[in-house]
Amino acid sequence: MINTKTAISILWTTLTCVVIFGSFILKNQVHELENELSRINKEIQSDAQNIQVLKAQWSQLNNPKRLRKLASEHILLNNVKAEQIINYSALPFKYEDSSGNDVMVAGANKKQYKQLVKAERE
Amino acid sequence: MLDVNISKKNQAYLLSEKNKQISDKSVLFTENLNNQAILTCRQRMPFAIIGFLVLYCIIIIKVFYTCLSGGIVISGFEQIDTQTEAVFVSPVTRADIVDANGIIIATSLPTVNLQVAPKPKIKNPEELAQKLADIFPDEDYEKILKKLKKQRYNDIKRNLSPAQQAQVNALGIPALEFVESQARIYPHDNLFSHIIGYTDIDNLGISGLEKSMHKRLTQSTKPLQLTINTAVQDTIREELSAAITKFKALGATAILSDVTSGEIIAMVSLPDYNPNIKISVGNRAMFNFATQGVYEAGSVFKTFNTALGLESKKIKVTDKFDATEPLKLKGITVTDYRGENRWLSVGEILIHSSNIGSAQIILRVGKEKQREFLENLGFSEKLSEFEVYEKAKPLFPAQKDWHEHTMAAASYGYSLSATPLHIISAFNAMINGGIYYYPTIIKDSNVPAPRRVISESTSEKMIPLLRDVVIKGSAKSANIAGYQVIGKTGTANKLVNGRYVQKKVMTSFLSAFPANSPKYSLLVVLDEPKGDDTFGFVTSGWNAAPTGGNIIKAIAPQLNIPADFTLDEQRKHIKASFEK
Repeated sequence: MINTKTAISILWTTLTCVVIFGSFILKNQVHELENELSRINKEIQSDAQNIQVLKAQWSQLNNPKRLRKLASEHILLNNVKAEQIINYSALPFKYEDSSGNDVMVAGANKKQYKQLVKAERE
Repeated sequence: MLDVNISKKNQAYLLSEKNKQISDKSVLFTENLNNQAILTCRQRMPFAIIGFLVLYCIIIIKVFYTCLSGGIVISGFEQIDTQTEAVFVSPVTRADIVDANGIIIATSLPTVNLQVAPKPKIKNPEELAQKLADIFPDEDYEKILKKLKKQRYNDIKRNLSPAQQAQVNALGIPALEFVESQARIYPHDNLFSHIIGYTDIDNLGISGLEKSMHKRLTQSTKPLQLTINTAVQDTIREELSAAITKFKALGATAILSDVTSGEIIAMVSLPDYNPNIKISVGNRAMFNFATQGVYEAGSVFKTFNTALGLESKKIKVTDKFDATEPLKLKGITVTDYRGENRWLSVGEILIHSSNIGSAQIILRVGKEKQREFLENLGFSEKLSEFEVYEKAKPLFPAQKDWHEHTMAAASYGYSLSATPLHIISAFNAMINGGIYYYPTIIKDSNVPAPRRVISESTSEKMIPLLRDVVIKGSAKSANIAGYQVIGKTGTANKLVNGRYVQKKVMTSFLSAFPANSPKYSLLVVLDEPKGDDTFGFVTSGWNAAPTGGNIIKAIAPQLNIPADFTLDEQRKHIKASFEK
């Protein structure tokens, strides 16, 4: 027969083994997660480094001097002039008259347009 | 028979007795022997127990250590980080500098330097030097060879490109080592040279903002945002370069400032340099005219003089002053350049830039008030809180040297010298309702608080006076269509060996727009413009003012300032554009 003392010893030994084994498994899992974290951090670093280089390159490509040269070569666009900014009411207005012809009216505002349409109907 | 049997029994008995005796002796011997072994065992047992206990303790400790601590480290493998969260660490240690719209104007790139170990074991240094010279065409073969033979660590090449690094790696020379480094890059080349400055090969700021903001740039990797607008800066630089070419000037500067905050939107000083290519110190291109160029500004100071007169209530806008003949004072005779030789109103004094009229205004106001006013506008002190490193102190005459002729000369911009930055900062206060804003080039900076220097009503009176200068006066060439510009020209002879020289001038144009509610102020200064294309005239109205007009014409649409064309004018523009 197993006496109490022996039973307690076996119990403690078993518990110790279980705890050690459990800790070992846990540690292993943590270890794996840390590995993954480390890998992710390295990837972040690498991406950050690439972004840093790309940002510098983007800024270099957006150098106004270079853009001006490219614009003059390819798209014939110049700096905006004061004369090119106009009010909406100064825009020429296109409408169809009674005979179906397109008529351009410079600077017709909404009110004027309504009057014109009314006049045409009459 | 019986006897024989008995005798046999006896013999057997005797034999068994004998055997018994022998056996008893053996048992005794064995007992003795067992007792001794047990005794020995008992003596050794504690040692064994202690030994095993120690062993088990070590095993248990090791098991717990392995389970709970940092794990087993196998040599040759990298130790695993034990950080508990994903982290972003900037790949560079020096913060970027960006403009008001977030465009990068200075950044760092992670690079590597190529080093050679001390006493390198290289079989054929000549061959290696030749191979390295092929990889780095800008490095000299002899220099590389010398470095390879040195007895200490030294850099063979700094800031290798990834391709160069791969090529060196492919050589497979263990004595060659790569050391991580950073290279400071200025993607816009010359555009911000005087503002940003540059760093040395060890990434220490040695001029401009790189020097003055070195601590901030290295303490935090958050980008440092400026108030500068890259597009506007570029436009102004282009116009200013064109002006230098046209008027064959030695140099030029332009500052565009936000009237209502003191923020600098653009600051160009020419000639300039490319901070990516280091140039020798002492070169004129290194000189930041905008913040270091202390000069006598001439007639632009009449703006301050008139404002002081109105503020002191000693003069009114409607007052008239006798400018029929030169004004004789103690030690000086004040004359006008192409004078009107008649009585002039306050407005006309500005329109015709009359020195005589200005001197008479200040004679009414008095010496003390003039000094106090100019000091209040910051003309006696260096703008030490302004962030760009290179700054100069104005030349402001001492109290004891402030005589009547000093007072008169100061009224039209002689006898005291200041930097363009001082002048534009003071001018802002004249037109923004009377508040002096300390100039700044950094967003959310900690410059001194704004202060009132003139009343709102005086400031309001100044605007139509300055508008008249552009419509009728010396700044007609800056009267551009669509934008109501206000301003004042100034031409000052340069001092050469203590004497003023007639044909060597500094011309300035101090302006603001739009007139109905000034938002931006612009100062253009040309150093020694020539009169070849301007019928021999070198005054500001012929060079600085048209340059200022051209700049405003180009930048106002970029700054979203609407032009004030009437609807009919706008329709004409549309028609004209269609006809094109």
